[in-house]
This record gives sequence, C-alpha cells and structure tokens, in this order.
Amino acid sequence: MKPRIGFFDFTGCEGCQLTILNLAEKLLDVLDLVEVVEFREVQGHCNEDLDIAFVEGSICRPDEEKRLRMIRTRSKKLITLGACADLAGINIAHEEAGGVELAMAVYGSDSKHLQGGQARPVSAIVPIDGRIPGCPVDGQEFLSILHALLLDRPTNLPAFSLCVECKLAELPCTFEQGIVCLGPVVRAGCNALCIEGGDRCRGCRGLVDNPRESSYHRVLETFNRSVDDILEEYRTYNLRIDEE
Amino acid sequence: MRTTQAPTSAAAESSTWRALSRVEIDLFVRSMMTAYEVVGVQKKHGRMTMDKVEDPSELLLEFPPQVHSPKKFLFPNWQKLFRFSLGGKVHLEADKAAVPRVIFGMHPCDLHAVQVLDDCLFEGEADSVYRSKREATLLIGVDCLPDEHCFCSSVGTDRTDSGFDLFFHRADEGYLVQSGSERGEALLRRHAPQIAKRDEEAPLPLQVKPCEHQLDFAVDALAPLLGDVYDHHLWKEIGERCLGCGACTLLCPTCYCFNVEDRMDDDLAGGERVRTWDSCQFDHFTRVAGGRDFRSDQADRQRHRFFRKYKYLWEKHERTACVGCGRCSRECLANIAPVNVLNRLFVEEASPELKALPANEYQPDMVEIIAVEDLTNQDKLFRLRLNTPIYFTPGMFVAISIFGLGEAPFTIASSSDDDMHVEIVVRAKGALTRALHRLQPGDSVGLRGPFGHGFQVEDFTGRDLLLVAGGLGLVTLRSLLLSLLADRQSFGTIQLLYGVRNIDHMLFQKELLEWHGSNQLDCRFAIKEPGNSWGVPTGDITHLFRNLDLQPQLTSVAVSGPAGMYRFVNPLLLRMGVDEEALFLNLERHMKCGLGKCGKCRINDVCVCETGPIFPYSKVKHLKEAIER
Repeated sequence: MKPRIGFFDFTGCEGCQLTILNLAEKLLDVLDLVEVVEFREVQGHCNEDLDIAFVEGSICRPDEEKRLRMIRTRSKKLITLGACADLAGINIAHEEAGGVELAMAVYGSDSKHLQGGQARPVSAIVPIDGRIPGCPVDGQEFLSILHALLLDRPTNLPAFSLCVECKLAELPCTFEQGIVCLGPVVRAGCNALCIEGGDRCRGCRGLVDNPRESSYHRVLETFNRSVDDILEEYRTYNLRIDEE
Repeated sequence: MRTTQAPTSAAAESSTWRALSRVEIDLFVRSMMTAYEVVGVQKKHGRMTMDKVEDPSELLLEFPPQVHSPKKFLFPNWQKLFRFSLGGKVHLEADKAAVPRVIFGMHPCDLHAVQVLDDCLFEGEADSVYRSKREATLLIGVDCLPDEHCFCSSVGTDRTDSGFDLFFHRADEGYLVQSGSERGEALLRRHAPQIAKRDEEAPLPLQVKPCEHQLDFAVDALAPLLGDVYDHHLWKEIGERCLGCGACTLLCPTCYCFNVEDRMDDDLAGGERVRTWDSCQFDHFTRVAGGRDFRSDQADRQRHRFFRKYKYLWEKHERTACVGCGRCSRECLANIAPVNVLNRLFVEEASPELKALPANEYQPDMVEIIAVEDLTNQDKLFRLRLNTPIYFTPGMFVAISIFGLGEAPFTIASSSDDDMHVEIVVRAKGALTRALHRLQPGDSVGLRGPFGHGFQVEDFTGRDLLLVAGGLGLVTLRSLLLSLLADRQSFGTIQLLYGVRNIDHMLFQKELLEWHGSNQLDCRFAIKEPGNSWGVPTGDITHLFRNLDLQPQLTSVAVSGPAGMYRFVNPLLLRMGVDEEALFLNLERHMKCGLGKCGKCRINDVCVCETGPIFPYSKVKHLKEAIER
C-alpha cells in the first residue's frame, strides 16, 4: 500500500500549497509514490489516518489549535510547510501592529468575524517531525524532504547560510551596495532567489542552527546599522535571536 | 600507489612567441568552438563571470581579479560520480567522459592554483574524475592587474612561465601568444594556422606585479612562523569575527574539500551519487556519528584553514596552497584578510631570526579618514577606518604619520568598544598637525599602534568614578567615559569635572551638553576667563571640588590635564580620602617610537609608552619628574 499523505492549511495565504501544485509533472511522479488523502486546495476532506501530514499556516485561534491536535493524533509524521507553520511567519505582524487596527486597515469596518489571536508556529502546539521552510516553500525542497521521508532518511535542511548560495551563483554581495541583508545568518536552500531578483534576504527560511550573531552584529556596525535596526528586520518573519 | 603527471605541468623551455591581433583571436576562438567548449570571462547580467562563450567578440581578455575562479570547471561543485537505479538489482552506471574544453582566461594566480589542485588530487591514488576533466581541458592564460586585495607578488604567483598551454600577453599593438606545451602548439596549428606559421617574436620579460598589499616577510618563513603560533590569541579574535559562511573556501581557487551524497530522481526509481563542495568552516564538516564535532569552535576552524594553506600543504608539496588571489578577503564581510593576519602574527610572534625585514615595526599602516569634525576653531576630530581591528583600552595612543612631515602620537578619543575605528583630536599647532587639518574624508594617513597601557575599565566594576579633565586632557577621558557609558549599569555614580581656559577651547561641546542633560552622569564645568556665554562660574577646576558629593573609599579617580593641574588636584583628592591606588593620572610625554626604545618619554626610569601613560598615583609619586612644573 502506498503511504498516505495529507495537506492541511491554517492561517496563511496557501501559497505553499500552490507551489506544490505548480510542480506539475513532477507532482504526477509523486502521485505514483503516495496516495493523497486530503488536500483542501484541490479536494474535500475526510478523517482518515495518515502516514505524513503537511501542515501549512500559523496557529492563531483556539479552534485551529484543536484541529491541529486532531491532525497530529491521526498522523504518523507531521511536517510543517512554509514559514507561517515553521516560524509563525509574517502573521506575527498581527501582534506587532495591533490586531484590530490591522484588520481594519486591511479589510475595512466589516471585519469583526476576521479577528485572530496571536500567531504561533505549529511546533509551539504539537511536536513536529520535520520542516520545509520558506515563504513560499521551494518545490524541489518539498520533493527532497518527501523523498527522505519515504526512504526513511533524515529530513536534513542545509546547515549553512545563504551566503554560500550567493557565492555559488556569483551574485554580488548585497552589503556591497550598502544594503543590509539577513543572508549571513539565514538558512540556505532557496538558491538566493531574492538576491538574484535584486532584493535582500528577509529571512523567510529562518536562522541557521548556529547563527554567529555577535559576528553578524559587528558586521552591521561596520555598515552603520544598530542592533535595533536589525531586530526590526528579524521581526518580519519572527526570527528569534538573543537580544544582548 | 600510482602518481600521475599533470598534463601541462612541464616547463615551457621551448616556448614560442607570436604576434596577433584581437580580430585574429576572435577567429581562433570561433574555430576552437567547433571542437571544444570554450569558456571565458564575459559580462552577463551586469557582472563578469566565467562561462561558455557563444560569441567570441564578447570574450574579455582583460578583467579584474574578483571574477570567480576557474576551479568550477576543473572541480565543479556538483559532480556526478555515477548513477544508480533501484528496484531489483542495484545497477551502477559510470559517468560519461569529460567534455573537451578550453578555459580561455586563466590569470597567473589561477594557473598556479591548478598546480596546487594537481599536487593534492594526483597525489597517491589520482582522483580520476578530476584527471579526466584536467586531461580534456586546455588552459589559456591571460595577464591581469592586481587590486587592493591581491598579494600574488608576496607568494610568487604573480607570473608564470609554465602550467599553461597558451598564454596571451598584451603587447603595444595587439597581443603576443606564448606557447606553453605541445598541446598548445597543436591548438594554434589547427585553429590558427596562419599565426602558427608566423615568425617568432622576442619574448617579453616576466613582470613583477605591483601589489600594494604585501606580506612583510619572505613566504618561506610562513610554515615555521605558523609552527610557533598554534595557540596564539589571534585565532580566537578571528573566530569571534567569523560568520562561518564559508565564502573564503568556496571562492578559494585551491580549496577542494568535498562531501558525497545521494540525490534521488523525482520518481525514486534511481538517483545519482554526487560530489559537492564542502567547507572546513561549516557546521557538520567535522561532525561524526553520534553527533560529536571534532572542530566545533570557529577559531579552530579558521586556524585550520590558515594552517592547511600555509603550513601543512607547504610542508608536503613545497608550494604554498594560497596563490594570493585575494578572493577570500575581497568577499569576507568580517574583513578577515590573510595578509593582515599573517603580518600581525609575524610582528607579534616571529622569532628574531625570522624577522628578516628591518624597520618593520616602524612602518605605518595606511588608514582612511572617514569623517572630520570641527570641535573648536583650533581642534578637529578625525575618524579613521582601520584595515584590521585593534584592541585598546582608554588612554592608549596611536602614532599618526604624514610622509614628509613625520609622525606624532595622538591619544585615542573614541570608545574601546569599536575596534574598527579610532577617533583622534588634533590641535593645529605645528607643521604635522596643520597638515592634518587640511585633510578631508577619503584621504589616508599612516597609523601605528595602539601603544601604551590604559585604564583597565573592568577594574572599575561596582565603583563610583570621578573624572577630572583639564583642557585637551578631556580627549583621554572621553574615551574612558564612552567605554563606561557603553556598560553603564556596571558602575556606580559617574562625575565629570572639566576645566578650560576659555569657552572657545571647550572640546566636544555637543556631547558635554548631552551628558549634562542626561541622568547617566553628573557634569560640572569651570571656565577660567570671565564672561562665558554658558553662564558657567568663572574659576579654575579646583572650584568644582567644593560641593563635591564623594564617597572617597568607593571612588576611583582619573585625572587628565596639563602638568600644572596635577599639582593642585592631587593633594585635594588625597585630602578628601581618595586611595592612592585608586587615583589614576594621565602622564603623557612625547612618545615617539611607542616601542619603549627611543627614550623620549622616560619619566626618570619609567618608560611612559610601555607602562603608561595611565599610572596609579602610588606608582609614580616617588618620581621627581612625574608631576613637575
């Protein structure tokens, strides 16, 4: 019997699920290997046991917390899908900006039913067995994590920082243009997509396991940035660092 | 055991030189493209990169040294070793033969780097994947101009007469092509027959490259030098700065450490075993089963990198494994530059017999002025950006050079927290200081130091502090005060007393007002000449002691000012009950050499630049010359 997998979404934009659908033919290869039992973005839902649950979105409301616990109970493995599930992601802006004001600004006065609570990562509620980081996730990385799960290999992510992928792609360093970038402390694996596109790294993949924060802050000082400036930058994706 | 001769390592004793034009080079490249993949440097998406040539006219023969190294074609980051298929019996499938390729655009340092790779990868059981690429690849050299990160001339890789198949030298009109191997000659005969038939030209002399960045010693002193510095504190300093990003090793043309892993096909029916670049700077590199990491500290990782480049491989192959291309330091955000590291180790640690170059310790480092601020109509504050971090305590000084006018000592005015910048205050008095006043941001001055012995700020932890400054003496105490304020909660009350002759002489007025208005410290001022605009009472600094709220046993005092001030202030403080051990005086003299040699800064038998200029009162009270008129 093929392993049974499901996709679940909580608070988020569902862009990670869309990225997986965009894998197109490659996704068809996946369908030869597994049985997709639940995938709200394409099909209805049932309540069956699963081998692997992929969970997208951050957890903001009590009913979400309850639903997540149910998914955990019926899944052998639970893997977070994307920055919202991994880090609470940009939903943390809800907390920063004040929930009511933010909902008003985005949805107007008719938004009472859209109130959420404080965004939390999935791992704050239930134990997880692996993570696929990114905003959105990288389709190829989703495939390799799925392969690892199917082969019972460790679901390791790159342990090095984004700087590695910038160097391999021979991209000029963002710092050279006087722009501060989170690349030196953020986990690689996106092939420096944002840098290639002319932006800086905003940290959607989270910090590397061992970020050299004091070295990084020293570099920022040489570029005339304070630790406060950079804490602001860390907040975009709710990155947690030691605030010295 | 089997060793393999590198295909193009034979010295080109019979090399020939022939003239040709750029148009003829384009034709030569176009013809080669029928038989080889030709790669060279081109401008793509606004940056220069070495890639497959599609249009010979876009091939650059002159390009700067920051272009990434040709290593990626001889030892690529992603190298398939073999394919396997799963399901039933495991089936292995070898990789195809390497693509015949011409690398057109090897700088001399990169040609030397290939020799290092040959040393390492042909040693013992030759690496067959590398060998097949190496044998299928022809190397064509071009010349270059070093930039401020290059130090090829220090390691002897700024030129080469071997290791290439052809080398294109820029000549007055067009180019001269030098053959370096029989394969190179054959390449010319086949793809540029008219040029191969041309009369030979006289060879150009090998040119020494003008590197501004240099090792201060001969390269063969490196291995013995490193032998003495395994436990040097510099590794820890570098380890604390290093981001662990591995850019240095990825960009290095001679680093080849790798990882081997399986990459599966999407349908999981098979996959590839691939070799990818790894780095001794990465977490996991030295991790073993069970999770232990045998080199987990970044300081140890950086030391390993230096030792391997300059010691271990030197001892094995009698060739430095660093070719001085500067790529590691050019893209290091933490400014870790081999030349600076090695020169510092040499200055601090080399045994006398290694220090071959005389007058080394007198040579300043050129540093850039990044800001100039008028403090008064005769005093300017200069902010200098250092090339390497310096470690100093408040009260220490640097020697600033203007060539032609000499060198003078200046107390560091900035906080010891910032090790990449120093600030100095310059009063225009003599020729050198007047010349300094004419300099602008962007100009450079020479800097030696830091020298001397300053305040040990950590000894003040938990104590009250009284800072007494007169005139220019505030410069030293500003450095101390900034260092104290950076860790404000560690100290008790802080009081600053500052006396000047007239208000136009008051330094750091903006900061004084800020401090005065803050609740961080108590600031009191005295101005000797009457009628100042600040409404400060007229009088000398001793007036400020009248209403001083002081717990003498808990207070450490720092006094810095003109010699006359100490004669009045010290007895006052001692009468108030301040401990002799807790009273610190700034006794600056003319500290010329900073090295404890010249004798100009001696107070009786004490050398100020070695043990001062910051002294506890108890250490100098017996010196007749210390607090003279």
